[in-house]
Amino acid sequence: MLEVSHLDVTYGRTRAVKSVSLTVAAGEVVAVLGANGAGKTSLLRALQGAVRPSGGKIRFDGKDMTNQSSAARVRSGMVLVPEGRQIFVSMSVHENLQMGAYLRSDADIARDIEAIYERFPNLAERRHMSAKTLSGGEQQMLAIGRALVSRPRLIMLDEPSLGLSPLFVERLFDLLAELNSDDIAILLVEQNTSMALDVASRGYVLELGSVLLEDTAEALSSNTALTEAYLGGGQNTDQEGSEHERAPAR
Amino acid sequence: MLLLQQFVNSIMLGSVYVTVAVAFTLTIGILNFLNFTIPTLFMIAGMMGWALSYYGLPLGLSGPLPWPIALMGAVVLTIIASLIVERFTFRYLKTKYGDSTEHAIPLVSSLGFLLVLENLVRIGYGTDSRRFEGPDADLTMNIGGIFVRVPQLVSLAVTVVIVLGLTMMIKHSRIGRGLRAIAENPDAANILGVDTRRIVPVVFILTGLLCGLAGALFAINYGEVSPAMGEDIGTKAIAGMVIGGLGSIWGAVLGGLIVGLIEMMTVHFFGADTVQVMVWGALLLTLLAYPSGLLGHNTIGKGKL
Repeated sequence: MLEVSHLDVTYGRTRAVKSVSLTVAAGEVVAVLGANGAGKTSLLRALQGAVRPSGGKIRFDGKDMTNQSSAARVRSGMVLVPEGRQIFVSMSVHENLQMGAYLRSDADIARDIEAIYERFPNLAERRHMSAKTLSGGEQQMLAIGRALVSRPRLIMLDEPSLGLSPLFVERLFDLLAELNSDDIAILLVEQNTSMALDVASRGYVLELGSVLLEDTAEALSSNTALTEAYLGGGQNTDQEGSEHERAPAR
Repeated sequence: MLLLQQFVNSIMLGSVYVTVAVAFTLTIGILNFLNFTIPTLFMIAGMMGWALSYYGLPLGLSGPLPWPIALMGAVVLTIIASLIVERFTFRYLKTKYGDSTEHAIPLVSSLGFLLVLENLVRIGYGTDSRRFEGPDADLTMNIGGIFVRVPQLVSLAVTVVIVLGLTMMIKHSRIGRGLRAIAENPDAANILGVDTRRIVPVVFILTGLLCGLAGALFAINYGEVSPAMGEDIGTKAIAGMVIGGLGSIWGAVLGGLIVGLIEMMTVHFFGADTVQVMVWGALLLTLLAYPSGLLGHNTIGKGKL
């Protein structure tokens, strides 16, 4: 479904992503792993359309998306849940979900939003409250719910577990498994290697902007040399700041 | 009684300030951009209204137009002028030489547009004030000894309708949510498919509409337009916006009315020479007590609408 070939992302003189090729098949969960500065976020920003790649191709469903706008990508079914959640704190919970339907004009929007409330009862209780009253974990649920309202077929998540309490991390990965059983493909960028490889079927390891390794999730998890050398043990311990909730965007 | 009359007049004057102040605050609240062309757009509306009713369409396409049609044409021309400003100050220069955090380029280039447009009008029509033949000045109602001119009442009503409509649109419509999303977090808005290049012109269309209506109302109420008419209104509208709080529409309404009131009361008690001192003095005192304005938020530039 998603085919990325030889993608380059350059900021000034820095090459953040160097000739990265990866694929995500329909309904598949693919993890992208790597240390800080490996180019994971730059890769996602290029896939979402926030930065123009300096080389390479992005194809979605066989269509060339390389030079398409973000709006065109959302319309064709790829959506990003950005790092740090980026919910709109000046809006209510409900308005945030409506923003997910920004490009839709069909009659089912209200029904889809209700479905999100059924999935996340915490959000339903606070639908008319400002989104900044939500806890970090609830904000992450809102960010994912907002993305789901756009009816994606591929959802890309950038460090969704960052800053969440262990309880919410569990819920998050349960949710990803649920979404996947609803036939939504997932491209998951995570520093929480072990959890990511549990839910993914395949994984890519990025280092300094290039793909270092590409393998099935089982093979990557059993690759102890890899986890020790590049992924810092694969347990929760590699995350700085995982204990405290990150402050809302503003 | 005279004081009460002055109070009524101040509301009418204030409604012109309100409309222009709302235009300023909208661009600041959504785009974090102080649009210096706003006073010029206001002037263009007045001068084009006059030109269309005095000369008619260019190239001899028509004789002098009746004033309501001339003013409608002027509002449309003002919106077009505002879109031209968007195309060159905001879109071209900013996307070519800046990034989403760049504010100096649009600011300075809009200042350039202010001077260019104002001087083009001066070259075209001279620097003199021109009489605008609007509705009969006799349309005056006497309500318990207070004189209220019908055009003034109409402009007040128009201002109220515009501000209410604008607030409803921003609060409840899809485009309004898109605008607020851009105001708070352009990157996140972009991720959800809000296309900045499509939605920024909406802000400039609204700016042109507000300035156009304000210029038309001014022409009707005062019966006189000139290439310099934007300068005084522009600075007072900025004062009103700052008093009310940057980026707050209701703040601009309140601030515009306060400035109108201060102006009329100053004229009444101290004479016209002291108006600027009192307006800007009031602004300083307001900021000392409320650093972010009466209804403003303390975050500058983001998510205030």
